[in-house]
Amino acid sequence: MSPRRTPSGGRVNRLRTIRFTFDGTAYTGHQGDTLASALLANGVSLFGRSFKYHRPRGVLTSGVDEPNALVTVLRGEVREPNIPATMVEIHDGLTAVSQNRFPSLAYDVSAVNQLGGKFISAGFYYKTFMGPVIGPLKGTRFWMLCEKIIRRAAGLGRAGHAPDPSRYERMNAFCDVLVVGSGPAGLAAAHEAAQSGAQVILAELDPCFGGSANWSGETIDGEPAATWASDVVGELKTHDNVRLLKRTTVWGYYDGNTLAAVERVSDHKDTPAKGAPRHRHWTIRARKVVLATGAFERPLVFPGNDRPGVMMASAAMRYANQYGVLPGEKIAVLANNDSAYRAMAALAKAGARIIAIADLRQDVSAACRKLANDAGAELLTGHAVISTEGGKKLSGVKLAPFSATSGVSTGNARDIGADCLIVSGGWSPTIHLASQAGARPVWSDDLQAFLPPETGKGWIGAGAFNGNFSTAEAISEGFAAGRNAAGQPALETTALPDIEPAPLDPNPAPVFEIKAKGKAFVDFQHDVTADDVRLAHLEGFVSVEHLKRYTTLGMATDQGKGSNVPGLAIMAEALGKPIPEVGTTRFRPPYAPVSVGALAAERFGDLKPERLTPMHDWHLENGATMYSAGLWFRPMIYGGPGETIEQAYVREAQATRETAGIVDVSTLGKIAVQGPDAAEFLDRVYSNVFSTLPVGKARYGLMLREDGLVFDDGTTWRLGEHDFLMTTTTANAGKVMQHLEYFLDVVWPDLKVHLTSVTDQWAGAAIGGPKAREILASCVTGTKVDNEALPFMGIVHGEISGAPVMICRLSFSGEMAFEVYSGAGHGTHVWEALIEAGRPFDMVSYGLEALGTMRIEKGHVTGAEIDGRTSARDLHLGWMLSKKKPFIGSAMMDREGLSASGRLELVGLISLDNRPLSGGAHIVEEVDAANPHGSLGHITAACFSPALGKYIALALVSGGKARYGKRAHISDPLRNRFGPVEIVSHHFFDPEGKRMHG
Amino acid sequence: MGEQLSPLEPIFRPGSHGNFVDGVGVTLSEIAPGSIVQLAAWPGEEKKLMAAIGSVTGLKLADGAGAGASSDRYAAFGFAPGKFLVSDASEGLATTFAGKVAAATGTVTDLSHGRTAIRIAGPRSEWVLAKLFAVDFSLPAFSVGSGISTTHHDVFTQIQRSGPDSFDLYVFRSFARSFWKMLCHASDEVGYEVR
Amino acid sequence: MLITCPYCGPRDVSEFAYQGDGNRTRPDPASTDSEAWNAYVYDRLNPAGIHNEIWQHAGGCRVHLAVVRDTLTHEISSVRFAREHGTPTHSRRNHGAKA
Repeated sequence: MSPRRTPSGGRVNRLRTIRFTFDGTAYTGHQGDTLASALLANGVSLFGRSFKYHRPRGVLTSGVDEPNALVTVLRGEVREPNIPATMVEIHDGLTAVSQNRFPSLAYDVSAVNQLGGKFISAGFYYKTFMGPVIGPLKGTRFWMLCEKIIRRAAGLGRAGHAPDPSRYERMNAFCDVLVVGSGPAGLAAAHEAAQSGAQVILAELDPCFGGSANWSGETIDGEPAATWASDVVGELKTHDNVRLLKRTTVWGYYDGNTLAAVERVSDHKDTPAKGAPRHRHWTIRARKVVLATGAFERPLVFPGNDRPGVMMASAAMRYANQYGVLPGEKIAVLANNDSAYRAMAALAKAGARIIAIADLRQDVSAACRKLANDAGAELLTGHAVISTEGGKKLSGVKLAPFSATSGVSTGNARDIGADCLIVSGGWSPTIHLASQAGARPVWSDDLQAFLPPETGKGWIGAGAFNGNFSTAEAISEGFAAGRNAAGQPALETTALPDIEPAPLDPNPAPVFEIKAKGKAFVDFQHDVTADDVRLAHLEGFVSVEHLKRYTTLGMATDQGKGSNVPGLAIMAEALGKPIPEVGTTRFRPPYAPVSVGALAAERFGDLKPERLTPMHDWHLENGATMYSAGLWFRPMIYGGPGETIEQAYVREAQATRETAGIVDVSTLGKIAVQGPDAAEFLDRVYSNVFSTLPVGKARYGLMLREDGLVFDDGTTWRLGEHDFLMTTTTANAGKVMQHLEYFLDVVWPDLKVHLTSVTDQWAGAAIGGPKAREILASCVTGTKVDNEALPFMGIVHGEISGAPVMICRLSFSGEMAFEVYSGAGHGTHVWEALIEAGRPFDMVSYGLEALGTMRIEKGHVTGAEIDGRTSARDLHLGWMLSKKKPFIGSAMMDREGLSASGRLELVGLISLDNRPLSGGAHIVEEVDAANPHGSLGHITAACFSPALGKYIALALVSGGKARYGKRAHISDPLRNRFGPVEIVSHHFFDPEGKRMHG
Repeated sequence: MGEQLSPLEPIFRPGSHGNFVDGVGVTLSEIAPGSIVQLAAWPGEEKKLMAAIGSVTGLKLADGAGAGASSDRYAAFGFAPGKFLVSDASEGLATTFAGKVAAATGTVTDLSHGRTAIRIAGPRSEWVLAKLFAVDFSLPAFSVGSGISTTHHDVFTQIQRSGPDSFDLYVFRSFARSFWKMLCHASDEVGYEVR
Repeated sequence: MLITCPYCGPRDVSEFAYQGDGNRTRPDPASTDSEAWNAYVYDRLNPAGIHNEIWQHAGGCRVHLAVVRDTLTHEISSVRFAREHGTPTHSRRNHGAKA
């Protein structure tokens, strides 16, 4: 049997032994243990080293508020740091290590930090890293180096670099009533709400339901509280309308009664079930929320209050009653309220010796005296602990008479031997979620605590959350809250349950600190002492928000669950103001740390959405290197063995211009524009006229934004009187759709036009080159494709290999070219038929690089030039601006700034040193590599042009046309590329368009 | 030419997958209807359009958002004001409707190639779908026959409840393979059968 | 934040796209009043409090909605179809536009 495990009692399963390691040492525990309870049972008292001073730390609490006993859990190569040992359920194979120590927990070299503690007081970093203003170390560089060293010494656990192989998952849930917390209040609420038939979710952060019922030692209507709780849970399980979520922390309360929670599905298992996630993130939308989140016991601030062996009284009680573990054998008590007496009694009953009770109050109730007497403890009222003894483990405490009014000890001190000091400084309701939801806390003088306002808009509180700490109140409030949340009328009379033993007085003495010599910690996790708080005040920090940030009080992973109110109290005293006037900070999500995996769940890697064209698999099978363009994947090149990217695209473009090439254009945005007002609508949204377009013809269109700048371009095909097929650029498809929908819905709701995204309905193959028509003619049936049947911008319908196709003769490459559209499900079939037809002509398939090359040679614009700053005239598209009708952007496009001289205009560039040009490089008149300046514009796209045999580029250059034929230079200091270029027209190749008109 | 090539083809693996030892939680299948057509009425013309749907499919649609119905051959549901998605096991539905819906009533858009229809059925369907969509799939909130429009990541999805534990999902064809992967991944936990 | 789409019911804000200040009125298309166009294109109300906004249910029925929202509390007091109700009427732009 472990040294501190009681022979009986508690709710762990002593028949089931679990093996785990901590810092490389093998230990055993039982089913139902946390890492904290199992290590305490093994006599371990030292759990970690503190943040700044490397002081030895033990375990202070038994739950999510634990500031000291933070460990790193290792799962294979994955490290998860800063997990409270109180929240880790042990399982076979669990491997945990302590943190912030070197070389070992027991012998930590940085522990000398505590000797020089003055140097690391509040605001240390702010004060230190300013750097000397004079001298050889002037500036901050030297101090940055020091900071690195100091930061390594300070801090908590270390995160790993190994990829996390665990599954994480997201889940959405909807309910009438969400009950947060499953103590007596929460169980009662869930029970009542479930009875009414409401959809109920009960969320409990611990591995078992019941909350304090598991450790209070009370009886409810004659049966043990834990039995009462499991009976209620058993009944809830029979309801179809109830979802019970244990190991689930509700961490965020957002608008619209949307709450965020994390369920730790598999952390307590050696290996998760197949397909089960490690963590499941719940987004819960609840009509009403019952907050039954209980309360945290507050530490007292006194010198040495962080020594291992000092523990919250309620935590000690829980270790004894729930886990069957004694945190010590010789126990001393320090309290400012009655609740510690109940804990003391539980420890005495479990077999510990209670040496002495130091109560800060001058007098205590008869009930407390009796409890002290029954436990055989010496009761010292009006006494305080003024220091603790021992190294890495408590060996004794120093007691002295104490005045609650002055906060200082007066008479002679006395040493008491003890291996555990249990402490209670009163209770703070867990109001975090209500605060997140916007509730303003109200100070209670009686309870010396911030309470929630009576109810919120979407929530109802119950039990200790409301500051009503007795179990009887919790159950009766829970019942009422459950009925209320489910929309049931309140019962006129409720029979209160009979709770034994009777409750004690919940009100503490208003004492938060015992002033004596030595470091007295307020925030254990961030090593913030009472003196740090006072120092902050002396340095002029008045607001609590500033205090918090300057001292980092409450900013650790425990979010100040225990330290907030003591910190405020000390600040208030320093300011000479009452606590409510100093106010409290607003709690923000998350209530407790949330794994990043749970937040990022399944939105990365193989599980992010990708768009594939109908011919995707063909491209892969035929050697394409794919390129991701937004969500789409498109072939970049079809590289041959040993070919570079440039060699491949040059070959593809050259072959297309010599014979023929085919490219997948299925990604172009396609919008069906249908209805009697479709033509009128297009006239309003395009800068040119579409109402005159005959059925069976297509037209190139340009769209402006309202501010007069170019928005998008593409061809639109008139398939019927009321039926148009608009194409957009791949990148802008979604934006154009939204833009058009906005105008139809909000601005012109009278127009009878419907818009539908049909991008995915069609597979598109563009086939171009001198042999394109011949190839097409050889495989298309049902229509001719000669000049007469299919003139430039004409549309015909036919079949290829039995599949219906629609063919439009239009050209992006500048060649005689056709876009062949078929149903997406026939796309590969048609594509393969075209490839087969092209084989006798040595037709190539080409990718985005060759497509880009040919469009640069032709001077066509794309998103690189339509960059949201260019006007139609800048791009030499002024001829597309109709003067016959208003259109979107027409009112603003002639503004002064948009027609001023000196704007950047589209030009062509030819590299004069036969070296490549690249996008983003600037154009200058004179190169000044040392001090680059005088930019005339920049390159938008560049390539090697097989048609010209030169490196060329498109650019936006001030002055534009006026510079044709002139020399300039590119200046690209980032890539160290400077060199001469000639500015030319952007129409590099076949400016008259002879090739495409045939 | 009929038969379309399914975008799921290379990753469609019939059989049981995931954690199926204790039984299969959901069955996933591609419906592959012959036709998927979108019908949209001009404001005030909704009744006429619903009558046209009724005359072609025999399905009676109730008033109200998302109302729908299905038969062995047809399924129809509203997914936006005045807009309906209708599917048919056979091809040619768009042509049929083109003759039935007057220009003054509304428009007909053929999406037979543009959408991929996937069915998820089985006792854990609601659970699996709740992982992907922020929509309440419980029967009281989402009745049999009715439809909705929603989104998972960037994947726009129209969903019709085809039975008490069965849902038909219509996604853009280009996203279908990605979506299928996500759906299988989400189903791992409950065990799933592809057929 | 939840927006209750009049067609789809309450949906998470992630399904919606903000489409701008709902207090703007587009000048007549043929208008050459550059002041009016400038105000329409560039001026936005930025109230701390009740605001008229246009949202699109982009991840749902794709309809545009006229939403009245309190920018301080996120409370939404009204959601209507924009095509039926146009820009909200209760607090037309009357100050701040040119300020």
